[in-house]
Amino acid sequence: MRGTTPTTRITTPVEREIHAERIVNAPRDRVWRAYAEPALVAQWWGRGNRLDIERHELERGGYWRYVEHSDHGVHGFEGRYREVTAPERFVRSFEWDGMPGHVAIEFVTLTDLGDGRTRISIVMQMHTPEERDGFLHSGMQEGLDAAFAALDRTLEP
Amino acid sequence: MVQYSADLDSAFAAVADPTRRGILERLGRADASITQLAHSFAMTLTGMKKHVAVLEGARLVTTRKEGRVRTCRIGPRRLAHEAAWIEKYQQLMDDRFNRLEALLERTRE
Repeated sequence: MRGTTPTTRITTPVEREIHAERIVNAPRDRVWRAYAEPALVAQWWGRGNRLDIERHELERGGYWRYVEHSDHGVHGFEGRYREVTAPERFVRSFEWDGMPGHVAIEFVTLTDLGDGRTRISIVMQMHTPEERDGFLHSGMQEGLDAAFAALDRTLEP
Repeated sequence: MVQYSADLDSAFAAVADPTRRGILERLGRADASITQLAHSFAMTLTGMKKHVAVLEGARLVTTRKEGRVRTCRIGPRRLAHEAAWIEKYQQLMDDRFNRLEALLERTRE
């Protein structure tokens, strides 16, 4: 199943931080535009689900808010930009409506590999393990809940 | 640093199989040898070894060998949860980046 398509490299160098790295076959300017232009963000960030870009103020202090509509519900994500350095890096706070007041920090870095490809590096920083788990719950729309519940049940002490 | 290879047998693949869920439930009650597990599930030793290897790869089960007996026990819950969590994040990001790549491909000038 996997292995035939490019995959994201996930590492957890420290607790409560998770790194994702992916190399895409496009120059950095175009990857930046895919993050910077709302009409483009709407086409990929929602992973195929309808995505409303309600706010997208890509500047220091600017507000962003995306709303994803999946078969399993509506999920809002929002925050503010802390740092924006086109076309290589932005840092923003990240909150999911399902856990209001719990704020993660997302660092997005685009590296020009010099051969027409770009490395996308995403670091999510959370404050507590509960926030980390909750953050991932926001992406739970692929019917994996049952597997997780089964795992929990089988591992009950 | 903990690193997860994409083709590593995952916690999800491990618990997707009803026999392996049964093995986890059984080990949740008490440690058991591979032979005991094979008996409980009416399987060959070879078949049970394969299931246990998958569970061990996903860090849901640990084994240790004493003499000729290999004893299985439930792996550390935190690690199991961590592995499952990482797997989900990987899937989320793969889905997202696959869409991004498709977009970049479509808009190639």
